[in-house]
Amino acid sequence: MTHYPERIELKAPLSGDFQAVVRLIIGGIAERVDFAFEEIDDLQLAVERLLAEAGQVGSVDLSFEIVQEGIRTWVGPLNEHAIADALSDGEVRPGELTLRRILETVVDSFGVEEADDNRVVVRLVKRKGSA
Amino acid sequence: MNTFPQRNHEVAGEKAREEDRELLRRYHEQGDTSAREELIERHLPLVRSLARRYAGRGEALEDIEQVGAIGLIKAIDRFELAREVSLATYATPNVVGEIKRHFRDKGWAIRVPRALQELNASMSGAIERLTARLGRSPSIAEIAEELKTSPEEVLEAMEVGSAYSTVSLSTGPGGEEDLDPLETIGGEDEEYERSEQRAALEPALDRLPPREREILRMRFEEGLPQTQIAQRVGLSQMHVSRLIRKSLQVMREELLRIPPGAAS
Repeated sequence: MTHYPERIELKAPLSGDFQAVVRLIIGGIAERVDFAFEEIDDLQLAVERLLAEAGQVGSVDLSFEIVQEGIRTWVGPLNEHAIADALSDGEVRPGELTLRRILETVVDSFGVEEADDNRVVVRLVKRKGSA
Repeated sequence: MNTFPQRNHEVAGEKAREEDRELLRRYHEQGDTSAREELIERHLPLVRSLARRYAGRGEALEDIEQVGAIGLIKAIDRFELAREVSLATYATPNVVGEIKRHFRDKGWAIRVPRALQELNASMSGAIERLTARLGRSPSIAEIAEELKTSPEEVLEAMEVGSAYSTVSLSTGPGGEEDLDPLETIGGEDEEYERSEQRAALEPALDRLPPREREILRMRFEEGLPQTQIAQRVGLSQMHVSRLIRKSLQVMREELLRIPPGAAS
């Protein structure tokens, strides 16, 4: 019997070499909660886009919390400058594709939490059966 | 006696190291290039034996040996006589590093056993069949059952496709086939300067091929799921997924090439 929430934490290099490893881990976690192929793909894409904005230098912390309805993910701390504008509340015009629009499409909800040194942690929630 | 041949071998090894050292001295101190040639020749068997470990991964053994030889030459050129190590010890990580870099630059062959490549190839069809049968996107467990394999293998096979896709980004609309995708990504300072442009990927969107642009529009403007997009454009869901990922990555790289201020 699963006792929620269960938590998995990972520190990964930002270098592109390790993106496939991060994707594989997300796949493994999502498979445990029986996400559909498409839902796994969505969560992987969301994390991948955030990591792409974070650059190639240093490492990033990823936390995954398995809850009854799905998976909560925290990515960061990330350089605030790198993603603040991309996630800003500004109105999205038709034909415009922003990081915000991408996240709105592939996860159920997301938010930004402040961390130390002008950095932020992005929180993603992906629910089961939502793809 | 068991120890005799061993002792003999040690003596031979010691003699070879002394000869290497003398050749290295001639090359580094006197610029004797024939000594360099001889060192290369003497250590080619080491390169061949290391290259054999990477055989059967989609590259001809001779090609791997050639790449390994580059590592050997670099090791000979960089060797410092003050070092206490033998040339063979010093060269081994250089040779292996050069071979691994070659595979990494070529893509995914080093990490992808043939069985996983085949599993990846059969996954597309399995996902299509299951989606039609179940009327929804299948779970990994369902795909694994369909393909008579484990969920872990399915997940790994999924990454086979994505690894290939990521590497092939360098052949995107920029057309710079020899460019490592990572080389196009700017440093921290550049990222700060260009962060404002990231609010809108629009200029980069225009540079995508029409099919990719249409897929992104369906996914992120209409909010259609991949399965429906796949039906509309006549591709598999996995293919649509890869095109979306690849397009977003290409757009980001394009954006980093656009000079600051040009995006508004």
